[in-house]
Amino acid sequence: MKRRNLLAATAALAATPLAGPHAASPTTVRWWYHFDDPKASPAALVAAFEKANPDIRIHAESIPWGGGSDYDNRLYTTLVSGAGPDCAMVKLENLGRLMEMQALKDLGPWVDAWSGKSDIDPNIWRINTAPNGVRYYLPVQYVVLYLYVRQDWLDAVHLAPPKTFPEFLRAAQAMTEKGHWGFGLRGGPGGQDFWATFVLGGGASLTKGGLVTPAATAANAWFIDLYREWKVCPPSAPTDGFLQTINNMKAGVTGMTIHHIGSANELVAALGNRINAVPVPRGPKGEGWATFGDGSNAVFTHSRNQEAAWRWISFLSTGQNNVAFNILTGQVTVTTSGARHWTAEPERFVKATLDSLPIAKVFPAIPATAEFVSTVWPQTTQKALLGEITPAAMMQIFEKLYFG
Amino acid sequence: MARARAARLRLFFGTELPLLAILAFGLLPWFWMMLSALRPEADWTHLPIRFLPTRLTLSHVVSLLAGTSFLGNLLNSLVVALGTLVFGLALALPAAYAFSRFRFRGRRGFRVLFLVVNMFPVVLLILPLFVIFRRLSLLDTYPALILADATFALPFAVWLLTGYMETIPRDLDEAAMIDGATRLQTMRLVILPLALPGIVAVGIYLFIASWNEYLFALMLSGERVRTVTVALQMFIGENQVHWGLLTAGGALVALPVVVLFLAVQRHLVGGLTGGAVKG
Amino acid sequence: MRRLPAGGRAALTPWALLAPALLATGVVVFLPVLDALWMSLHQFVLFRPNVEPFVGLANYVTLLGDPTFWASLGRSLVWVGAGVSAQFALGFAAALLLNRRFAWRGMARALIVVPWALPSVIIGLVWTWMLDFNLGVINALLLRLGLVAHSIAWLAQPGTAMIAVILALTWQGFPFFAVTLLAGLQGIPREHYEAAAIDGAGALGSFWHVTVPGLAPVMATALLLRMIWVANSLDLIFVMTGGGPGTATETLPLYAFLKAWTGLDYGYGSALAVVLTLLLLAVVILYAARASA
Repeated sequence: MKRRNLLAATAALAATPLAGPHAASPTTVRWWYHFDDPKASPAALVAAFEKANPDIRIHAESIPWGGGSDYDNRLYTTLVSGAGPDCAMVKLENLGRLMEMQALKDLGPWVDAWSGKSDIDPNIWRINTAPNGVRYYLPVQYVVLYLYVRQDWLDAVHLAPPKTFPEFLRAAQAMTEKGHWGFGLRGGPGGQDFWATFVLGGGASLTKGGLVTPAATAANAWFIDLYREWKVCPPSAPTDGFLQTINNMKAGVTGMTIHHIGSANELVAALGNRINAVPVPRGPKGEGWATFGDGSNAVFTHSRNQEAAWRWISFLSTGQNNVAFNILTGQVTVTTSGARHWTAEPERFVKATLDSLPIAKVFPAIPATAEFVSTVWPQTTQKALLGEITPAAMMQIFEKLYFG
Repeated sequence: MARARAARLRLFFGTELPLLAILAFGLLPWFWMMLSALRPEADWTHLPIRFLPTRLTLSHVVSLLAGTSFLGNLLNSLVVALGTLVFGLALALPAAYAFSRFRFRGRRGFRVLFLVVNMFPVVLLILPLFVIFRRLSLLDTYPALILADATFALPFAVWLLTGYMETIPRDLDEAAMIDGATRLQTMRLVILPLALPGIVAVGIYLFIASWNEYLFALMLSGERVRTVTVALQMFIGENQVHWGLLTAGGALVALPVVVLFLAVQRHLVGGLTGGAVKG
Repeated sequence: MRRLPAGGRAALTPWALLAPALLATGVVVFLPVLDALWMSLHQFVLFRPNVEPFVGLANYVTLLGDPTFWASLGRSLVWVGAGVSAQFALGFAAALLLNRRFAWRGMARALIVVPWALPSVIIGLVWTWMLDFNLGVINALLLRLGLVAHSIAWLAQPGTAMIAVILALTWQGFPFFAVTLLAGLQGIPREHYEAAAIDGAGALGSFWHVTVPGLAPVMATALLLRMIWVANSLDLIFVMTGGGPGTATETLPLYAFLKAWTGLDYGYGSALAVVLTLLLLAVVILYAARASA
């Protein structure tokens, strides 16, 4: 970090005392988290942990999510300047970046010696292991994206929830009429999960050349045509984000959309039994892609309290603690023991989540993914939806980003 | 009678009605937000749109005030914004006086330099600023936010104040000094009262600049001095947008500024022609 | 500085008055700006803190050949031109009206600041909500008044998206002009209006010959400052469209922001920021040259 010297020197000139935050007690663990509900507090979990571990104090700090980039920048800035927390909630889309920063502690030895290891589903361990085989992330919550459907609308047109792409298109067309659209497509940030279901789950793959094969290009053209050709999505779809797609479902404007169990209670409050969920449809060869929405904790290499931090995060991923944690976050427990008696959401949504696990996938943990998700995907897809570029050109842009 | 009636009509059509139109543009979105905060949740996604709520509810406001740290954050914002106002004026007034009353080498260059630093997009300064403030042990303190907010608003404050001070005829302070007043006395007794409308306008500018600031508050403060802009951002989660909390908070967050402005608006008019327009 | 002394000490007085402001600006702004300048000469990506080679002007060379840079510069011109003029026109009208005498003007003056007193994220969300295709009150009103036949997807079409963000910007910014110009109006001596009235000038005449010239210095400063502010502001666009659809509302500072904040490419982001600053500096120098002429 040579370049920092200029600033460090000038700052030192202006500086007076040099008391760092590390002057605090060596057994205080600083942990950063973000919960969707500002009223939710981890205080009870902290108290239970401190009671069981009197030698450790937990300083839990909520950091604004800000679409992800606010949380990430706060984290990276503090990590780069050595003022970061000991451990924090992290997501797989940032694994590649954090690995490049060499900011992550290898949790492998601790995980292998940990009694809670076997209580976490092997699928979840598989997804949360880094490409180099190391375990940097300890899973603490998850969701799998599935398809929300208006069961009453489907019943009215005598169709079952779609399992394949042609069935999906037929259902979407049948539900589209004046003021109603079959599919609430999300072209704004976060929409890459919709795209992945139909394009990565329909013939394209995130390997060199895999995004520009004829099958990949055809799958993408089909995806864009949902909006352009068959018009089964609202005209506002290119910039619709999470709020708009869910509101459109609640308002009875759209018949299907893709999201996870985090919106189940909200949708049931608005629609009752009329809302149902099933795994997303699968591609022509039976492949499929249901984006795995991960949530983990990581310990940072600069921390002086790594062992204490591990004790805290492993506490959060254990049995009933993890159940309590996920009631706070509105996601699903990663423990098999906890999932058996899960009652936070109606059963059909839990079933759709578990049924989706076999096709649960994530974007590769390399730095390009973060850029793909935050800017390249929305900008490029919106241009294709507006007809400014062709679906084939869209795939070439993605290929170039990922594989140069 | 008829003349008075004609004058009243002219006032209404020439002044009050156009102003009402401008105020409607300025206030209706705010009212709509307030109305959203007072509606039951089901109203937000009801089609066709309900212009009037089915019933009024305080549940979102109660949940905001009792269930979140919003009130404490509002207080933090108030401390930081008032601190910015005082500290900013303390720095800007002498500087503006120097620019408007002295001719010295480098005057124009320094004025431009002042402005130039303000032009630099803040997002690219946040990383070095974080390092400096950490060195100064200022992270997560009121002084950090006050110092950052006031300094970044300073160029605007200095330029605006200089502009207002330049409209005050120079013979007034020369006369005061011939009468034996010192520089400081001249500034206090002649310039400050005459520049009061400008000072009030700049004070409001400083207050609002700090009131709405997000990036510094996000990066330089933690939970201890979290301001209201950051608190509002906390209502937008990864998978959930707390519309009730956001609209209730958005409606409330403007109120302290309105109250402040109501208290000082009399001083916004005054100065040279005070007698003529004071109402 | 007891009395107005002659010679050396008098020359120091302005510097003494400027010292606190210069010191604060030096530490809080100038040092970080220098650092950002230095950053722009490196290939500096935040998540590669150990690999940051000095690349000289390479970032600037890339920038000149970057079509996104030129396109975002063009959109910035539209954003600043339309946004500042609309804010100014509305704010000036409000200032003139608020300067008149009527019963409820104290309340009117206080209420006019409401849009300005709201954080950008709230403004962005509320306008997005009001402009919503299905649930937005604006489409509902236009439909009810028969002004449109179908709802308009304001934020999903390039042309209307730009109009929408400029509308929200105008809403946010016009109170700034209302307040600063209202304060400026107080500096125009009343005798000037009386003299104009004696010369037989009507309302329009005294507006053109007294108000406009009397307000000109404050007006010019306020316009210049607001232009700089608007040219740098990006949070409304970021919240409402994220620069989309496609890149239809991506202005230069938003491009720099996305590069740095979400792309973590602080080297290139800094280069973009430096160029934006130089362009604004040119405007200020032109302004200063004209003002002193």
